[in-house]
Amino acid sequence: MHAWGPLVDALTERKERAFGMGGDALVERQHSLGKLTVRERLELLLDPGTWVEYGLLADHMDAGLGDRFLAADGAVTGVGDIDGRKVAIAAYDFTVMAGSMGKVGEDKIGRMRAHAVAQRIPMVWLLDSAGARIQSTSGSSFAGAGALFREQVAMSGVVPMVAAILGHCAAGTAYIPGLADFVPMVKGTSSMALGGRHLVKAAVGEDVTEEEMGGSAVHTKVSGVADLEVADDKECLEVVRRYLSFFPQHNGDAPPVRECTDPVDRRVEELYDLVPTAPRRAYDMRRAVAAIVDDHDVFWMKPEWAKNIVTALARIGGQPVGIVANQPMVLGGALDVNAADKAARFVWLCDAFNIPLVFLHDVPGFIVGSAVEKQGIIRHGAKMLFAVSEATVPKISVVLRKSYGAGYFVMNGLAYEADYIVAWPTAEIAVMGPDGAVNIIHRRTLEAIEDDKERAQRRLELAEEIRQNIDPYVAAGHAQVDDVIDPADTRRAVARGLAVSRDKRVSRPARKHGVLPV
Amino acid sequence: MHEIRAEITANVWQVVAEEGQMVAEGDELVILESMKMEIPVVTEVPGVVREIHVEPEQTVQEGDLIALIDES
Repeated sequence: MHAWGPLVDALTERKERAFGMGGDALVERQHSLGKLTVRERLELLLDPGTWVEYGLLADHMDAGLGDRFLAADGAVTGVGDIDGRKVAIAAYDFTVMAGSMGKVGEDKIGRMRAHAVAQRIPMVWLLDSAGARIQSTSGSSFAGAGALFREQVAMSGVVPMVAAILGHCAAGTAYIPGLADFVPMVKGTSSMALGGRHLVKAAVGEDVTEEEMGGSAVHTKVSGVADLEVADDKECLEVVRRYLSFFPQHNGDAPPVRECTDPVDRRVEELYDLVPTAPRRAYDMRRAVAAIVDDHDVFWMKPEWAKNIVTALARIGGQPVGIVANQPMVLGGALDVNAADKAARFVWLCDAFNIPLVFLHDVPGFIVGSAVEKQGIIRHGAKMLFAVSEATVPKISVVLRKSYGAGYFVMNGLAYEADYIVAWPTAEIAVMGPDGAVNIIHRRTLEAIEDDKERAQRRLELAEEIRQNIDPYVAAGHAQVDDVIDPADTRRAVARGLAVSRDKRVSRPARKHGVLPV
Repeated sequence: MHEIRAEITANVWQVVAEEGQMVAEGDELVILESMKMEIPVVTEVPGVVREIHVEPEQTVQEGDLIALIDES
């Protein structure tokens, strides 16, 4: 026995105590709720044997909490690999004082944010935290707090940020996902809200459960704050890995290209059956998206919110792409405030990380009327215009059927620096559809006809005259679309468009930033 | 009783389902017409159509009741 024995034993004992988290009883409670522990989550998230932990031996160091032991101060931090690439991790441990944000734990996470930026690697938060540790921070020393959000804002668009919601998160831990790029939520066990249940009861008198207020159903279907609802912790960690597989490590890098066995010139004849030639008829755009991309493999973003527009990550010839597609099955594919928000945000995300964009048009335009004006459709529509105009990644457009008015613009019309724009023979590009236009162009003529039947007949004839000029070959004749294609060649056309615009360079006048419509 | 409401200001174009009819999740009840598009209104739950509150040519506002489904 050498002299180091007791020293090494004491060290081992301290580490084991930290690995024990909040103790057996609380670990068991975590499991009984259907949740995994923070350590189990890290094992599922990261490549085996790659974890490098920072601050395992941390504790609260707060005299006010006495000699209580808080393993890792409730926040496990470190660096590990996902598919062989480094990722910085901040994982809250609910078994340690409800994962509350303590001074030491937050210092550790601040160190991870700095590391992620210095190394230009993605940051992943695993959130299962009640929010601020009020026991330690209830006084006005709060005046110096808040750097976490400012730093996160500075990271935005530099490195990918994922905030996985794996428990009930309130206040502080609800703004972390608010500022992250991608937010999956576990159904049934997770929530996020600015105020927890007890605070809400006291502050506004509302009696509501965490689930009702900020559960996955609320945030993936109604508010649009979260991106994806998943069944359990395991699926949540899988989608984080899958999401990151589309992204470069940072904004100065290209997204990773995968080997692809699905031929890029594959004919997509199922589109003949999928898409009706009758312009008013609805169909499920998601099936068209799946048919076009590599191996029918699609990662849907916000699939349950603003369903009138589809946003998804996928690959074409192994190259990651972001797809923005109108969904005729919901609201006829017409754009409203939420659809514009969803698309603008997705375009900004892809553009920030050099992921080319593919737009599939089938849009009757923005919804009009007093209801949407009260919701601010103009500023929301302007936001989508802003995002699409700003994006400097390769931008490919395919006009399947209708593409009317500002709907055509925000879907990356020719004037929006579309690098390659093609139309199907069914494409209708115009300021508005003939049925709408006829009432404006020929209003006086029609009003002068007294007989209802005769007027209706004349309206149809005049609309038909207008329709003659709404034709993809008119657009092609003006060389305002680059080609008219057989729908079955859509995949090939997109692949070619991407190939010819890969090295796109756009320079714009210098400015601090535009003034964003929100 | 499950309420099916209009998601958009629209004209009622066709009423597809009948009162008393059994429907499965995703079945069309009514087809609206708005923005020059056919907009199918489907039931999110299986059950029996108890009441249909609209008829063709009528206008509906966002949030108006279209049908009641007795969920099974």
